[in-house]
Amino acid sequence: MNFIHKLEPIWWMLFGGGGFVAGFFLPGLIISVLLLGPSDLMSTGLSYPRAHALASGPVGRIFLIAVISLVLWHCAHHLRHFTLDLFGHAAAPVAAYGAYALALLGTIATVSAVLAL
Amino acid sequence: MSAKHFGPPKTPCAPARKPSGFPLGWYRYRNYTIFAATCIPMAIAAVELIVGIRALGKGEAAWDAWLASLATGPMRALNIVCLLFAIYFAFRFGWVGRKIAAGRIGPVPKPPLPMPILGVAPLGGFATLWLILFIILGGFV
Repeated sequence: MNFIHKLEPIWWMLFGGGGFVAGFFLPGLIISVLLLGPSDLMSTGLSYPRAHALASGPVGRIFLIAVISLVLWHCAHHLRHFTLDLFGHAAAPVAAYGAYALALLGTIATVSAVLAL
Repeated sequence: MSAKHFGPPKTPCAPARKPSGFPLGWYRYRNYTIFAATCIPMAIAAVELIVGIRALGKGEAAWDAWLASLATGPMRALNIVCLLFAIYFAFRFGWVGRKIAAGRIGPVPKPPLPMPILGVAPLGGFATLWLILFIILGGFV
């Protein structure tokens, strides 16, 4: 666990940044894409050519990587401490390594998906 | 706190234990627990977005199929749950944020506005950004 504790400022930075990004953008993305995406209201805006053009531009790529990966790191840190609250310090190594490994996997998946656009 | 402080304590003491009634026995514990639990639906929403980007990269048919999969009942229910938790997270994050002051030396001044009004500002900012995102993604500009 020493390795995890030494990097605590980095986890906190990712957690804080992810919190801001999640507050700023995640509900908007859930409403616009995940909930209204299939509806007629968004049929023009999220048609394949427009969605691809938005996502594959430099701003779109940076936006997607930053928002999704930071939200995942935020969730990982929150999940780590939620697990500690519920199950005590015996769960600390599994919670820390498990949560951050999932966030790392999610970040790699996000970057590879965005670069493949 | 540095890593060396995390070793066993020099003074014998009882092991740490949960407060009585945690996690749902008192309203402040409940609020804390719900806020902590927001991480799970928010992570699910992020994973859904990754799947969407992958579909976008595979071509028009995959993108349309992914959008169609979002219209099914279970996915709609899941996404509504994700949205409710994400909104709860954003509002509580903004509500706590009103109390954050810049680092200073000396006595803490009174807030420039009453605290409930200060709490409305970040929430209004968040809602405005969600609306802007909706307008951009919907192609309404």
